[in-house]
Amino acid sequence: MSDSELGRKWDRCMADAVVKIGTGFGLGLVFSLTFFKRRMWPLAFGSGMGLGMAYSNCQHDFQAPYLLHGKYVKEQEQ
Amino acid sequence: SCPSALGAPVASSVRFLIKGSVAGGAVYLVYDQELLGPSEKSQAVLQKAEEVVPPAMYQFSQYVCEQTGLKMPQLPAPPKFNFHIRDTWNSGIITVMSALSVAPSKACEYSKEGWEYLKERTK
Repeated sequence: MSDSELGRKWDRCMADAVVKIGTGFGLGLVFSLTFFKRRMWPLAFGSGMGLGMAYSNCQHDFQAPYLLHGKYVKEQEQ
Repeated sequence: SCPSALGAPVASSVRFLIKGSVAGGAVYLVYDQELLGPSEKSQAVLQKAEEVVPPAMYQFSQYVCEQTGLKMPQLPAPPKFNFHIRDTWNSGIITVMSALSVAPSKACEYSKEGWEYLKERTK
């Protein structure tokens, strides 16, 4: 992996983390205000979920060059 | 007593409907914009937000000024920094690491030179 490609992957990871944590926090806020009587746990839950999803995406992104994606091809019957 | 007996369940169900629609709308917005999707989509959403939000904020502040009659103080434009944090951070890290890697040999060299100098002086 070249340096520029690595830098691009890190940029994508950071942007993804910001968006996902923010989304999780926002959804947690909405649910906390509407259904859960302004408790704190939906915010923590949402932010944690967003962080976990971002981490998982980053992990897949960085491991991608080493994974061989195979696909099954049906044998053509003569 | 009849209207008040009917009023409370109706009010609570209306409240529940409003809350449900707000929460459902938020979930649908997240699904529609694919905010919890692949990282390319999130990056695109962030870039779009960076383009859209400052003009929207400016228009909103203009609207508020017009409605309330307040005059927003004309803030001077923020100074344009020609300072690339990423480049300077990267070059700083590289400088520090290369300095650390040559530190032992440099220390040997300087101490040898200092020792030679002292020997010269004390002759």
